[in-house]
Formats: sequence, structure tokens, C-alpha cells
Amino acid sequence: MFFALLVYYAGHIGVVLVILTKFKTIAGWSLGEMAFLYGLMVFSQGLTSVFFSSMNEFETLVVNGEFDRLLVRPLNPLGQILSSKFEIISLANFTIGITALCFGSYYAGVEWTFAKALFLPAVLFGAVLIQGGVRLAVSAVCFWTVRNRSLVHTVVYSSKEMILYPVTIYKMWMQVFLTILFPLAFVNFYPSHYFLNRDGSDLLFHPVIQYLTPVVGVIVFTCAYALWRVGVNHYQSVGN
Amino acid sequence: MTREVRATDAEAEAVREFLTGSGLFENLYLKFAMKSFQKQLAYKFEYFIGVFNGLLFIFIFTSLWRAIYAGSESAEGSGFTSGSIIAYAIFAMIVRISMSMDDMSTIGKVRSGAISLDLIKPMNYFSMALSESIGQSMFHWFTRVVPILAVCLLMFDISLPVSAANYTLFIVAWVFGYFIMFMINFLFGLIAFWTIETFSFQLMKYGLFTLFAGGIVPIDFFPDWARPVVDFLPFKYVLYVPTALFIGHIGGAEALKLIAVQAFWVAGLGFTCWGMWGAAQRKLVVQGG
Repeated sequence: MFFALLVYYAGHIGVVLVILTKFKTIAGWSLGEMAFLYGLMVFSQGLTSVFFSSMNEFETLVVNGEFDRLLVRPLNPLGQILSSKFEIISLANFTIGITALCFGSYYAGVEWTFAKALFLPAVLFGAVLIQGGVRLAVSAVCFWTVRNRSLVHTVVYSSKEMILYPVTIYKMWMQVFLTILFPLAFVNFYPSHYFLNRDGSDLLFHPVIQYLTPVVGVIVFTCAYALWRVGVNHYQSVGN
Repeated sequence: MTREVRATDAEAEAVREFLTGSGLFENLYLKFAMKSFQKQLAYKFEYFIGVFNGLLFIFIFTSLWRAIYAGSESAEGSGFTSGSIIAYAIFAMIVRISMSMDDMSTIGKVRSGAISLDLIKPMNYFSMALSESIGQSMFHWFTRVVPILAVCLLMFDISLPVSAANYTLFIVAWVFGYFIMFMINFLFGLIAFWTIETFSFQLMKYGLFTLFAGGIVPIDFFPDWARPVVDFLPFKYVLYVPTALFIGHIGGAEALKLIAVQAFWVAGLGFTCWGMWGAAQRKLVVQGG
């Protein structure tokens, strides 16, 4: 299974490698920088999966009425779901993520300072809250629509594809969307500027944006949790 | 059978009388209507999300190629112009959507034991699975391909080819490509006869497919040293070849040669499926009853 996951990821990495071998850069990002960008995304996803992977099958809980069982227990239903599963996918993500981060920081010549070493866990913390918040919000949709599989597929899986590349490849409205409404750009794109010492002066809004990942994480998660609470209160069992 | 139905009707009648008596009746009908409406709504929602998903991927890859071509001066001479690479990205994705099939069907049937019901039918399982899959694809053509194509023609600076040759070559290549894809899926599905764990093999298949089918990167962009391997594998005949023939990236004798290789793969895989299916049937153990 672990090997299979590596082959699966190798397919995606291979695509980017073929492009970079042929064209040298993607929107001004070199091989090393792309690797760092990718590593930050994959590692934080692995970390997110440790806590939130069970959310992806939330639909099953609601459709089968199993969610009712969690509600009658004197514990936070969210806590019960989150602690019910650990996936080997996370292990593959950690392996690939760390490899990509090391490879990236070597090839892009990242000068590691004390501040950067301290900031890395903070970025990961924020990135996990952003991605976890997104999964939580998508799961909350279940309370109204019962089914959300396609939505999970789009929002959780397809959206990874969006931040595989520097968000500057997109048109301005999309960059704004990925910054404010669906702030995935904070998972890897903005913080990468700081680690890679990339010139932040042409960043959207203000250069300070490259340090904001932890703050954005807290905001996104708070909003998602609020939505989830509204959903739980609105919840009516499918009844079976 | 008829008697059973009548018995159920009588039961339902009794329940209905009971419920009407207690005043719950109207409420229940309303509940049923609401639930069924919600169900329909959910499926419609799923459908729109599916179409949206296809468009999202087209959007990502066209943005990617636009950025790459804007940032590299040598890109124009790479075999694709900035215009034709966009057309490639869009049509490759549309071909991919048109070929989406349920590759878990055999696996699910083996796992649940339902395969035994298919085996006693006086039909060939392979042909049965293929016809089911074709039906599904036809549905995808009408419900997903057509609307996505329409949106793309409006949103992007692309046009459909005018030459009948493109369409003829495309249809032949698409059908062959579809058979290749179906048979690869079929063979991977047969793994379920030997092991319980099939997801790993599926994952590996997806990985190989992502890289070697040309759905994202056209095969032309692979480095020279990798070409012999990529050209040998069957994957590029599924997406790359039909797409390249459709947009006229490849034509003439080269196109015919590729179609011939496709035919060779169809025959080879067909033969493999036949042999593997025979072996799988002998291997079959249905757990429980």
C-alpha cells in the first residue's frame, strides 16, 4: 500500500518534472522552488489527514444514521469523528513531503535561519487549520444535503491540484479567490516566499501576506467550526 | 410473486388506515415527498459538481500552459504553439471525461459475491461488463461532454476542426482508446479474484495513467531518453492519440500508424483478458452465501 501510494504520487510529480525539464521554470519558479512549494503542500496535507481524514467519509455517517450514535454520547461529536481513524496516506505524505522540502531547500539554496526554523511549525499549524477547516465546512454541508461526495472530491482533492502550481499562473480574480474566499494560497504559496527569500513586493495586497498563514488558519477554522455548529443544530436524522 | 405483492399491498393498506386514524398520515406523505425531493436535489447537485470539476481542471491546466508559454521564449518551437497547447489541454480533458468509467464494478462484485449471479447468466461476463460501461459512457457524452464542450467553446479561443478527416480519425482512435482503457481496467479488476487488497493496484494504475496517458502533458514534451518507454506503454493510446488526431496535431501516415498500433494493443489486451478471465474463474471463491 505504501509503495502504491508512492507510485501514485510519482505520477503527479513526474508531470511537473517533465514540464520543468522541458521549460525550465513555471511562472518564474525553478525546479528547487517548485519542489519546496510541493513539499509544503504535501507535508501539511499529511498532517491534516492525521486529524481530519475521517471527515472525508462523513457522508457515510450521515446517510447510515451513524451520526446519531455520536450525538447521544456525552462527548463533542466532532472530537469523536476525528479520533476514529488514521490513514497510511499520511505516512506517504510525510515521506514525500519531507523529501521534497529537503530537495527543494537544497536546490533552491534556502538559507535556514533560526527565525525560519521557528516559523515552519507555525506555517504547518496554520496550513492544517486551513485545510482542516475546509474539510469541516464541506462536511457540514452534509447536514443540509445529506450527500456531499462530489463536493468532497472537488473541494478536498481537486483543489490540491490548484496549489500544486504557483497561484500567479491564474488570472487576478482567481488569485483573489484563493487568497480571501478559499484561502489555499496560504497553505504553501505565500509562506514559500519567506522561506525561499523570494521578492514579496509584487505579492497581492501587501508583502506582509507571506507571514499570515497561522492567522488565516485560525480564522478559517473558527468560521468552519461555527458553520458546523449551525449544521449540528439543524441536523435531522435520515431516520432508519 | 403476485400473491406476495398482494400481501404487501394489504399490509400497506392496514398501515395506512392505522396512520390515517392517528392523524399522522398527511404528515408522512409530506415527509416522503420531501425526502424524495431532497434525494433528487442531491443527485442534481452531484451532477453539477461533476461538470464543475471538469471545468475546474480545464481552467487549471489552461492557466498552467498560458503561464509557461508566457515565461519561456523557446516554448513556441516545442511542437505546440501557445494556441494549440490550450486546445490540447481542453480536448485532452474532455476526452478523459468522455472515457470515465466505473473501474470498481468487478472488484465490488467479487467482494460482495454478486459475481456468482453474473456467472450463471447465459452471457459472456466480459461483453456484459463492456456493454454496461459503454452505456455509462454514452450517458457521460450527453450529460457531461456536451455541456463542458459548449462552455469551453464560449470561454476559450478554440474552435472545432472543420476537416472530416479529423473527425473520422478521432472516432476510430477514440473507440480503440476506449477499448484499451476498458481492458486495462478489466484486467486490474480481475486482481480481486486473487487478493482482497486491490486499492493499491488501482492507485498504481492511476499514477501510471496520470503521467503516461498524456492527459496533462502531451507525450511530445517527454525527454528523448524517456520516449521509447512512454511510446511503448499502452497509456498514451487512450488519451494522447485521440486528442492529437482530433486537433490535427498528428495527421496523415503517422496517424494511421498510431491507429494500427492501437489495434494491435486492442487485440493483445483482448487476448490477455480472455486468458486471465479463464484463470480467474477457476480461482473464484465466493465467501459465504
